[in-house]
Amino acid sequence: MKNLKKSFIAILLLFWCGIAVYGWHLTREDAGSSSLKNVVLGYQAGDEFYISKIRGQFVKKMKAKGYNVKFKEFQNGAAMMQALASGNVDYARVGDTPPVSALASGTKLTYVAAGGTKAKGSGILIHKNSSIKTLADLKGKKVAYTKGTSSQYMLLRALKVAGLSNDDITWVNLDSDAASVAYSKGKVDAWANWDPSVAQVEITENSKLLVDGTTTKALNRSFIVSPTTYASKNKTLSKLIIKYTEQDMKWANKNHSKLIKKMSADLKLSKKVVRRSVTRRTFSMKAMSKSVVKEEQEIANVFYDNNILTKKIDVSKHVQYLK
Amino acid sequence: MPQKLLEISKVGKSYGNSVILSDANLVINEGEFIALVGMSGGGKSTLLRMLAGLEETSAGSIIQDGNKIHGLNKEARVMFQEDRLLPWMNVIDNVLLDKKGKQAVSEATELLEQVELEQYAKQFPSQLSGGQRQRVALARALMSHPRLLLLDEPLGALDALTRTKMQDLIRKVCQDKAITTFLVTHDINEAVRMADRIAIIKNGTIWRIVDNPYRGKESLIDKEKEVEISEEILAEILD
Amino acid sequence: MENIETNENYHFSFKFKNSLPWLIPVFLIVFWQVACNLSWVNETLLPSPIDVVTNGIKLFKKGELQENMSISLYRATAGLLIGGGLGFILGFINGVSRRARLLFDSTIQMLRNIPHLALIPLIILWLGIGESAKISLVALGCLFPMYINTYHGITSVDPKLIEMGKSYELSKKDLFIKVIFPGALPTILMGVRYALGVMWTTLIVAETISASSGIGYMSTNAEQFMDMKTIVLCILIYALLGKLSDFIAKNLEDIFLEWRAIERRNTDASETSGDK
Ligand SMILES: Nc1ncnc2c1ncn2[C@@H]1O[C@H](COP(=O)(O)OP(=O)(O)O)[C@@H](O)[C@H]1O
Ligand SMILES: [Mg+2]
Repeated sequence: MKNLKKSFIAILLLFWCGIAVYGWHLTREDAGSSSLKNVVLGYQAGDEFYISKIRGQFVKKMKAKGYNVKFKEFQNGAAMMQALASGNVDYARVGDTPPVSALASGTKLTYVAAGGTKAKGSGILIHKNSSIKTLADLKGKKVAYTKGTSSQYMLLRALKVAGLSNDDITWVNLDSDAASVAYSKGKVDAWANWDPSVAQVEITENSKLLVDGTTTKALNRSFIVSPTTYASKNKTLSKLIIKYTEQDMKWANKNHSKLIKKMSADLKLSKKVVRRSVTRRTFSMKAMSKSVVKEEQEIANVFYDNNILTKKIDVSKHVQYLK
Repeated sequence: MPQKLLEISKVGKSYGNSVILSDANLVINEGEFIALVGMSGGGKSTLLRMLAGLEETSAGSIIQDGNKIHGLNKEARVMFQEDRLLPWMNVIDNVLLDKKGKQAVSEATELLEQVELEQYAKQFPSQLSGGQRQRVALARALMSHPRLLLLDEPLGALDALTRTKMQDLIRKVCQDKAITTFLVTHDINEAVRMADRIAIIKNGTIWRIVDNPYRGKESLIDKEKEVEISEEILAEILD
Repeated sequence: MENIETNENYHFSFKFKNSLPWLIPVFLIVFWQVACNLSWVNETLLPSPIDVVTNGIKLFKKGELQENMSISLYRATAGLLIGGGLGFILGFINGVSRRARLLFDSTIQMLRNIPHLALIPLIILWLGIGESAKISLVALGCLFPMYINTYHGITSVDPKLIEMGKSYELSKKDLFIKVIFPGALPTILMGVRYALGVMWTTLIVAETISASSGIGYMSTNAEQFMDMKTIVLCILIYALLGKLSDFIAKNLEDIFLEWRAIERRNTDASETSGDK
């Protein structure tokens, strides 16, 4: 009896160790080959780098140029900025707000490229049967947003467009999961959010955007940022990344159905939701231009004016115009 | 003329300001069974621990075979009041302790036979009664072939019947093996039943030593003498 | 005849007793399924057990489930071995050496009071976001319970037994192997059990640091897209893994501390029956 127990536990432990060793092998697999120079790209599911990753051409082309590309997925922009600050990510694909916050907190980063916007898929969600009909109706309402993300900027811009002051609404700071529950339960009246979550809510919660980025000018543009010292040493590499990503973006714009199929499987969202979010944006990736720098500067200014940032930032000092 | 094994001379011991022993003198002869009796807290255990080398003397000296005892007395083995068996080892492993090999095992088995516990060899101490456990402790002490066996009230926690049986067993084993034995007890009857000589500790010193030539004899007269001696010792202690 | 009957009764009650701990979980799962079938709960907020299981099978067929599980198991085990081992060594050194205790203990006690999860930003900055960061975090979590239990176990071994060992001329090595370590083992194994618990909770958090694999990643990734089936699946997997490690720990105790079980069984008996 006792021996039986002993051998049973021994087998169980052996099994445990065997599986753990297998797991160790799995983590080693993506360690990559050594002769190539490693480049780490940080991305979030569904973004431009994600497309390059799933299409698969990018890695091959980079390999031909002597680079071993590693993709690292992040749950949000803030985490990615932290990894960037510690030099664990060479290029990060982020939204328009996290780099501004990171710059304010002293991270030395450089804008390398600018992507398309999600203007049509970013805005303030309301239920279709909501009493809120116009922007002005937001007065006195509870609006969910997530501090330090694009949603905060969207909401600030929307209030400005509506001619309301910041105190005219109740700001409810929630992370996206909590916000989603609060919104569906009617605990908040509106929700500042962006795609693909917006598309998902529009479809499953019978909702619509009260206002989107085309009106608020909170465009929710994509950027690629890099640690400043890294960026200044790797201009050729940066140009390659822009070039190949842009090729993938062109592919994405032409091959919606393939993209939608893959994305809906990976993001575990219905095709309908993915289709809506994909069709209302245009993918692109270009070198930085004066006009997008102005957009970023505007965010920095608005955040500074609203005491969200304690430091004034001159975005143009952190930009590389690669031609 | 008996051979002298150990000489306690002018031994004193104090903890801080409290003096436990002062000027204690005693000679222990080779092969004898000597008991030390006295009031509780009188310093019996302290003296025994000094003989074992578990405690240093504050004054005087303990000489064994012409050498002053300093540090552990390797010729002595102690049987404590508590059995101090290792609860995670079975009986035979407790007897063996760090000794290995076929020879040692057969010797340990033999010792267990002598203390009538051979069938308990594979049991754990917790499966044994108090008396049985003390017998294991005795076997363990004998396993190292000590010249001097130090017993610190090893039977104190046992019931009267078991005690009597154990007293006879210990006495017999020690006599068979001709081991010098030093028994600390607060039970005068036990001392008289077991020891050839009985030392009385009082006022921090060895107050008197009583010979006990009538020990273990069969005749009624000897039994009466034993009672007499017990009463004499008791009177001496209480005086 | 009568004897046999009581025996059977005994067997029956024995089996019944064995199944008793499972009664509430089984009941809860059945109730949950029924509640879902009758639409008492919103399926998007709480999917039914069958949905969760089919989702699990689907993920298994895709290979995702077992890959993520093995990676999690690797991180957990590596962290436990490193942290637990370090905790054991430190606890051992401090338990045995007075000087080491004076030197290290108060510092360790001070560090112990920092919640190890609060160190995530530091760990990211120092070690990055690779495997080493996650494993270090788990190791950090496992270190303290092992340290404290080893230290406490060793220092609270009955000094009378140690004195016995010394007076019976045990070598330093034997004194440790035969007296101190077995005496401390019950407390150390308790530390192992506790460390196993901490290991899983830390791992969940560790795997949200930019992981692209592991059960924690599966769960946070699903959370982002409100994929409730996978979230619940991950929670169930954690519950099962937790239960499994607890089961192993308990059985290790049974195997290594057989003497204690016997002791417990015998305390009452010897108290009532007196001397044999
Ligand atoms: N380590 C110690 N420190 C201080 N006092 C002690 C110590 N050991 C024993 N004593 C004291 O010495 C006295 C004698 O103790 P002990 O030798 O155990 O007496 P006995 O065994 O005769 O009952 C007691 O009063 C006890 O409190
Ligand atoms: Mg005493």
